[in-house]
Amino acid sequence: MESIVFVIDDDPSFRRSTQLLIETAGFDVSSFASAEEFLRSQRPSVPACLILDVRLPRLSGLDLQKELFKAGIQIPIIFITGHGDIPMTVQAMKAGAVEFLTKPFREQELLDAIRRAIDSDRAARHERAKLEALRGRYESLTPRERKVMERVVLGMLNKQIADELQRTEKTIKVHRSHIMQKMQASSLAELVRMAERLRGRI
Amino acid sequence: MYRWCVSNALPLRDQEGRILKWYGSVVDLHDWKQAQEALRTREAELAHATRVMTMGEVTSSIAHEVNQPLGAIINYANACLRILKGGSGDLAGVTTALSAVVKDAERAAAVIARVRALARKSPPEMVAVEVSDVVSDVVALVRRELTERRIELITELYSDLPLILGDRVQLQQVLLNLVVNSIEAMRNIREDHRQLFIGARSHLEEGKRLVLVTVRDSGVGLKSGEISRLFETFYTTKANGMGMGLAIGRSIVEGHGGRLWAKPNAGQGAIFQFTLPAMP
Repeated sequence: MESIVFVIDDDPSFRRSTQLLIETAGFDVSSFASAEEFLRSQRPSVPACLILDVRLPRLSGLDLQKELFKAGIQIPIIFITGHGDIPMTVQAMKAGAVEFLTKPFREQELLDAIRRAIDSDRAARHERAKLEALRGRYESLTPRERKVMERVVLGMLNKQIADELQRTEKTIKVHRSHIMQKMQASSLAELVRMAERLRGRI
Repeated sequence: MYRWCVSNALPLRDQEGRILKWYGSVVDLHDWKQAQEALRTREAELAHATRVMTMGEVTSSIAHEVNQPLGAIINYANACLRILKGGSGDLAGVTTALSAVVKDAERAAAVIARVRALARKSPPEMVAVEVSDVVSDVVALVRRELTERRIELITELYSDLPLILGDRVQLQQVLLNLVVNSIEAMRNIREDHRQLFIGARSHLEEGKRLVLVTVRDSGVGLKSGEISRLFETFYTTKANGMGMGLAIGRSIVEGHGGRLWAKPNAGQGAIFQFTLPAMP
C-alpha cells in the first residue's frame, strides 16, 4: 500500500459512495462511521489524508481535528461542509485544514484535493523522518559535546570556548571534529542549520 | 335558492291519543351555518400558516436530508462512469452502485413527499393513523437539527399502540411544534445535558383506550406561572415567535377528542403530553 485515504461520515450511503468513488480513482480507502471509530483504528504508516464531515454526531469533525492535534497525529484533513458553515470553516482553517469541499462535491475537486493532501503528507513525513534522524544524531553527542556545539554554532572561536569551559584549545578542537562527524555536517554552516532545525522542534 | 333550515314539529293529542293539531317551527340556520364553515376554513388556514412557520425552523435539517442522498447519487454515478471508462468490465460493481443510486433517489423523494404533505394546504382528512408513523415522520425531519445541536434523542414507541382516527398532517404539526419548542428550550443548556425523549404508549383512562404521546426535554423548563399561559394565543417566550404553535396544537388535539397539557420535568426541563382516543 502506497498511500491511504480515510473517510469519516455518519451517513452510510454517503460514506460508501465516497469510498467507491475514490477507490475507482485508484486509491486505497478505509472508511469509518464516527470519529471515535477512526481514533480506535490501527492505521498503516503510509502517506494519508482524511476526508471528514465537519458536522459529525457526538465528536464533531472539528473536535477530532483538535484530538488529533493533541495526540500529535499529523494528517492533512479535507473537510466536507454543508452550506452556511462559514464560522466552522474559519475555525478549521485556523487549525490547519488543507481543503474545504461542499457536499455534494465535484469529483475532480475531490480527487485533486486528495492528491494534493497525500503529496503534502508524503513531504511532511519525509521531513519528519529527516528531523527524527537528525535528533538521533544529536542524541548521540555526549553532554560535553553538546555544550561545545551550542557555542560553536553561536560563532565562538575554539579559544573562546576553551576559556569559557576551562579546557585546552586542543581538547575543544577534538570535540569539534567529533561533533562534525557524529552530526554528519560537512561545514559549519550546515551545522548551524541543523542546530536551528533542532531548536525549532525540540 | 336553497337555505339551511331546521324544522321541528310537535303534535297536540287528546286523551285517546288522537292528533288534534300540529305545532311547527322553521328556523333559518343559513347564516350561522355559513359562519361556522368560514370559521373552520380560517382555522385550517391559520393551522397551515403556523405549520409552514414551524417547518421554517427546521429547513436546514430538511435540506440536509435531501442533500445527503443527492451527494451519494452523484458519487455513485461518477464511480460508475469511471468503471465503464476504465474498461475493467466490473459489471458487478456498476450494478451494486446503480442499485444504491435507486435507493438514494427513493430516499430523497421520500423526504420531499413528506415535506410536501406537511406544507400542503388541504382540509383535514380523518383516517386511521399509526401514531408511531407520525413520530417517525417528525423525527426524520428534525434528525439533523438534533445532531447539529448535540441533542441526544430517545424514542420509545410501544408495539401495541392502537390505531387512532385523525389527520396525519395535523398530528405531525402538533408533534413537530412540541419538538421544535424543546430544541429551542435546550439552546443554552450544556451540550452533554441535552436530551429529548419522544414516547407513545397505550393508556387506559376511565375505561377508554387512548394513545398517550410524551415529549420531554432537558431544557430551561417552565416557570411556575407560565404553565397556565402557555396555551394562550400570542403567548411566546421566543424572540421571533408568534405564540400560535401551542394554542393551535391544543385545538388540533381537542379536535381529535384528546387533551394536550404541560408540566415540569422532574430535575430539569419540561414535559408535554397529549392523548388521542383509540379508534373504536
